[in-house]
Amino acid sequence: MSKTEEQSINSWINKDEPKYVSSQSHYKDGFEDILDERRHSSDIKYCIRKRRDVPKYKYCIPREPDDIKRHVLSSDRVQYVIEKLASEKVATLDELRIQSEEILNEMAHKLSVKAVRCFAYLLIKVLKSLFSGIYVNEPGIQMLHKLIHEYPVVLMPTHRSYMDFLLVSYIFYNYDLSLPVIAAAMDFKNMKFFGWLLRSCGAFYIRRSFGSDQLYWAIFTEYVQTQLRNGDSPVEFFVEGTRSRTAKSYTPKIGMLSAAIESYFKAELPDLMIVPISISYDRILEEKLYAYELLGIPKPKESTSGLLKARSILDEDFGSVHLYVCDPISIRDMAVGKVDRVLHALEPRYINNLTDREQMVTKELAYKIVLVQQQHLVISPWSLIAAVLMQSREGISQWQLLKEVEWLKQQVYNLGGYVDWPGNAKVETVIEHYLSLHTNIISLDNTEKIELKLVRPTHIAKPVHDEVMLNAATNLILGSYRNQVLHIFIRVGLVALAVNSCADDTMTMDELFNKYSFLETVLSRDFVFMPGETNKSFEHAVLELSHTGGLVVENDIVQVKKSITKHTTFFSQMFEPFLVGYWVLCHHLLSLPVDVHGRPLPKKPKAIAIDAQKLAIRLLQENVLKHYEVLSLDLLGNGLNALVELGAMYKDKRNEEPWLSPNRVLVSDIAEKIAQYVEVPPVAVTSVLAVSKRIVLTAKL
Amino acid sequence: MASSSERLKVIRGHLWPHSSSNGDVSSRIRQENSNIVFAECKGDSPKKLTVDESPSSIPKRRQELLKWNGWGYKDSKFIINKHGQVEFTGERYKISGKMMPALRDWMLSNVGVSLEQKSPAQPELTAANIPSPTVNESFVEEVKKLGLTYSEEPHDRLFRAHGHTLHEVFILREGTFKRIPDAVIWPSCHSDCVKIVQLACNYDVVLIPYGGGTSVSSALECPPEENRMIISVDTSQMTRILWIDQQNLLAHCECGIIGQDLERRLEEKGFCTGHEPDSMEFSTIGGWVATRASGMKKNIYGNIEDLVVHIKTVTPRGVVERSCQVPRLSSGPDIHHFILGSEGTLGIVTEVTLKIRPVPPCKKYGSIVFPDFKNGVACLNEVARQRVAPASIRLMDNEQFQFGHALKPEASSIFTSFMEGLKKLYITKIKGFDLHEISVATLLFEGTREEVALQEKRVYEIASKFGGIPGGEENGERGYMLTFVIAYLRDLGFDYFVVAESFETSVPWDRVLDLCRNTKDRIVRECKERGVQFTPYATCRVTQTYDAGACVYFYFGFNYRGLANPVQVYEEIETCAREEILANGGSISHHHGVGKLRKKFLQRTVSEPGVGMLRAVKHYLDPQNIFGNGNLMIE
Ligand SMILES: Cc1cc2nc3c(=O)[nH]c(=O)nc-3n(C[C@H](O)[C@H](O)[C@H](O)COP(=O)(O)OP(=O)(O)OC[C@H]3O[C@@H](n4cnc5c(N)ncnc54)[C@H](O)[C@@H]3O)c2cc1C
Repeated sequence: MSKTEEQSINSWINKDEPKYVSSQSHYKDGFEDILDERRHSSDIKYCIRKRRDVPKYKYCIPREPDDIKRHVLSSDRVQYVIEKLASEKVATLDELRIQSEEILNEMAHKLSVKAVRCFAYLLIKVLKSLFSGIYVNEPGIQMLHKLIHEYPVVLMPTHRSYMDFLLVSYIFYNYDLSLPVIAAAMDFKNMKFFGWLLRSCGAFYIRRSFGSDQLYWAIFTEYVQTQLRNGDSPVEFFVEGTRSRTAKSYTPKIGMLSAAIESYFKAELPDLMIVPISISYDRILEEKLYAYELLGIPKPKESTSGLLKARSILDEDFGSVHLYVCDPISIRDMAVGKVDRVLHALEPRYINNLTDREQMVTKELAYKIVLVQQQHLVISPWSLIAAVLMQSREGISQWQLLKEVEWLKQQVYNLGGYVDWPGNAKVETVIEHYLSLHTNIISLDNTEKIELKLVRPTHIAKPVHDEVMLNAATNLILGSYRNQVLHIFIRVGLVALAVNSCADDTMTMDELFNKYSFLETVLSRDFVFMPGETNKSFEHAVLELSHTGGLVVENDIVQVKKSITKHTTFFSQMFEPFLVGYWVLCHHLLSLPVDVHGRPLPKKPKAIAIDAQKLAIRLLQENVLKHYEVLSLDLLGNGLNALVELGAMYKDKRNEEPWLSPNRVLVSDIAEKIAQYVEVPPVAVTSVLAVSKRIVLTAKL
Repeated sequence: MASSSERLKVIRGHLWPHSSSNGDVSSRIRQENSNIVFAECKGDSPKKLTVDESPSSIPKRRQELLKWNGWGYKDSKFIINKHGQVEFTGERYKISGKMMPALRDWMLSNVGVSLEQKSPAQPELTAANIPSPTVNESFVEEVKKLGLTYSEEPHDRLFRAHGHTLHEVFILREGTFKRIPDAVIWPSCHSDCVKIVQLACNYDVVLIPYGGGTSVSSALECPPEENRMIISVDTSQMTRILWIDQQNLLAHCECGIIGQDLERRLEEKGFCTGHEPDSMEFSTIGGWVATRASGMKKNIYGNIEDLVVHIKTVTPRGVVERSCQVPRLSSGPDIHHFILGSEGTLGIVTEVTLKIRPVPPCKKYGSIVFPDFKNGVACLNEVARQRVAPASIRLMDNEQFQFGHALKPEASSIFTSFMEGLKKLYITKIKGFDLHEISVATLLFEGTREEVALQEKRVYEIASKFGGIPGGEENGERGYMLTFVIAYLRDLGFDYFVVAESFETSVPWDRVLDLCRNTKDRIVRECKERGVQFTPYATCRVTQTYDAGACVYFYFGFNYRGLANPVQVYEEIETCAREEILANGGSISHHHGVGKLRKKFLQRTVSEPGVGMLRAVKHYLDPQNIFGNGNLMIE
């Protein structure tokens, strides 16, 4: 399908079927397509037009980017750290001052509206060619107009693509909102022209890890805080820390957030408003890159020429984007009754010292932000299709797919998700449209069956021939779209897993809860659960699952047989690959040779994941493992982190890095437990547990 | 134009001559060869010498001179006259008899007042509406035997049932107190107090000392659950300056002297204490000591704790005092500091020796206009750092500046309004200030002519570094005037559904701006959340500077039309505001004290053992809780 001409907004509808084209298609369910107008009027005029009534924080004293830098260097916080380091003989005062300037020059943005206008012009062209529509919830924009005037604002979008912050800035430009400054990863900084351009559009660059570098931390903190205090611009950063390669939310990172809200805890701000933003893509630009990265095949360094090579992308169709500006979260409201700001009255405020409770609130907040983002993601029909396809490894007939997708859509609605399903289009049309967007991984050649195609990487010198890897890449791409609905099903999914794997006829609620809570802990790195609210989530999930058809509970007893339904089966299968992956990981850990103390040598987490992947490859080749996703290093890494969390790994610190080795008893115990929930490859796990049990026994004798 | 002694004249003019009901004037003797002037207690042996007695400015029947349900003198109040203009009645103040044309519009646009919507107060309560007293007959009998003035008259009792918090005045206008004093006694000297305390201990009767009644912490309210007889001990008849020591620069005074009388009578001898709280028209020495008061000229003269050299206090355990009258001593923890701020919980402060100073030859007002509040605060900080603060320096935020303007009486001549216009033109057009951003500092200089000139020069120099330009004497004087009359304005607000109150705090310099901004923001936000229909008025000024920080004073008011329980809403918001202040590194109070209003914040402020210390002192001095007004948290 050609995209060059005037295109209908409901782009899945063939032009020759005008009855499907709604007259108001650029406006649906409170979303407005901002590209619509751009397709009908001059881009130049748009870029040079006067921005009206741009809201400003009411206490803002206008500053230039250079004023901000000057302030940071002379700030009490930075001066204090410089003097402290000098007195600790880390370096001389002069050296530290020079270092500070260098750090700041590397970091600071040079936001200028002029540059933004130029960039906007370029960006519109790109956006128009990539996307058929960019939908924004208008009420959210209205809210922002007021909010920015009242309080300092932090924007926290989901992060699944480089497009994310470009889109946010573009949308802010479009709606005459003050342009955000954005904490960006260093990757871009080194790109020649682009690095500079992004800086002028408000990007500031943060090193990926600067854990114990006090000077860097001070400069960074002051740089962020001063802009919040004065409300120069909304500050934007990603709570997930980095782009999610899996299209599901990463567990949140706390560092940046705590730097930002320290200002509130120290009463330097009347309040701070966090605005989560959910960005949903029909198709993610980087899908292929991510898949190979997840498999451990290195990604190309960000470079301008790389970007130019990516130009071929411009000829492809990426469907539409939905951007939902969520209701603001007030830090004040969050912290009421939880923190006592008075505790900071006895020390100068530029000395870093958040209390434990403040750190706890920050963590809670971080999780809350992710959960709010998830709540407002728009589910693309394609995600539903992907979810069904993932469970039909042998391929599926068009007709069957249709039925399953319809069913799944209903489940999403029941569980409170929002599917971007056109109100007046036939299911066939919708599915056809989305399949056509993804012909890179979907083969429609066989008229009987819809099947997966192998994708070959374009960006690496040595092409991957290995059939397993190619299969895995395809599966990971498809999986990443299924991942976009998982947050809706995760909690009911865990209940379903517990029920479906139960060998008895009945189960008490306590048993069910224990199983649920085990699964939640094990999966807590791949999925986001509010810390400390396991009970609440469980009760909610039980309620949902029994109301929407699935779980049967009579007199507080789960009727297992009656509860094994299409619902519970489908939901549990969604999460099966993760558990199987963890099991493989455990299996690998248990197969490591042990030293004289009966302990395997410690290794870096990354190395462990890669070795576990090797085992998985073998199992796939032997055809005893079905889930290609298990090869994802992200999944294996998450499993490893969960083991750490469960206390099943010994931790060493070497060169500031953790080195891990398994506690064989606990790991084997966990592996056994996991095997209770899913079908695992018929491989014998060295049963350390059995051995240790015997030891206990002999001891008793 | 402001002349040097204008301010005192203003205050002097407040008084109507009247005769005290027990006007037996003792003989006066001046000891020729000594600088010391003696006075005698009427109840004491007649051998002691006494001089310089003048009747109390405050009659025993206070309600004859003062409003029973509002602030200040009966004859002085804001009204909306028949032309629909705001006018200030009476003759006591500079603005008395004047109309303020801009004030009505200010009220309409800033607090959402509508002239059609009135909320008049309830009519004066009759005896029938005032609870009848709980009487401890044996105690009363003994009191009468001693010949002390004693009253159970309902209005006397009602008048002493309260101070001037919003809560209290609102009750006067709209309801009744659950508990009021059962009787009033007027001691006339220290030994009267000793006898009263003794009797009270013997008969288990509660005593609440009453000075000027200007308390703004609910310190005077009777604990509603108190079953014993409650006596209000009114010190208004203990008004003598017992002696003046010119060499050591001391004046020994009775506790009931009100500020304006003290300064007037000392001035006749060429002296002053320089202690001028904004309530000085009514508040008393005893009250100052009991609340740790602060006067606006503390930069020269110090706060009350710096001014007292000796305090005599009658407690149930006996009389607490030092044996010497020395400038400083090291004798373990300072017993004065148990009494200062004791808020009537430990005993009656009967006599106080205060430092005095020769009246300065030159007093001069001044003002500085800053482009914004931030610059103003930075300037005050610098002035404090260089320790060149004049007698008083205060900084109004923009809202308060606007309000001050609204209080301007109609221009008396075309010339003044022309000059005003020119000034405005200069500030906005030439200096480029935004009238909605500017902030104004008011200044009061005192000293010799040369000293004042030098101080002025230094202050204005510093100001110019922060973009401040001199704004003239008149603006300065009006600024100070405002603080005297603003208390009257609240009563007008009440008539139109507006409740208003002030509160204050002290805060380190680095947090002043944040505290001001955050507290105002919190107020506005809490109002919104509680369904207040009109934007509240919240404004602040920095009223005192110290090396380590400043005192900040807030006014807050809102229109409560549409709210069923305005006082409760107000109190919730005030609590939030105080929490915000504490969170911003501010204090529970700089000078208003704790009373009952801020009790809930005391322990957090002074720690649990800290409260324990206070309690231990209380339990030792007053095991029966005779001084059972329930202030602080030490009963
Ligand atoms: C309009 C206005 C302006 C004000 N401005 C200031 C200001 O600038 N600075 C400032 O510091 N305060 C100010 N205040 C607060 C108030 O004036 C002070 O707290 C003052 O010190 C109270 O004195 P008083 O004589 O009126 O005492 P009261 O109000 O009668 O009593 C206050 C407390 O002291 C106790 N007390 C009174 N006399 C004695 C005594 N002789 N012995 C023992 N206990 C006693 C009472 O029991 C009560 O607990 C202001 C109040 C108002 C209404």
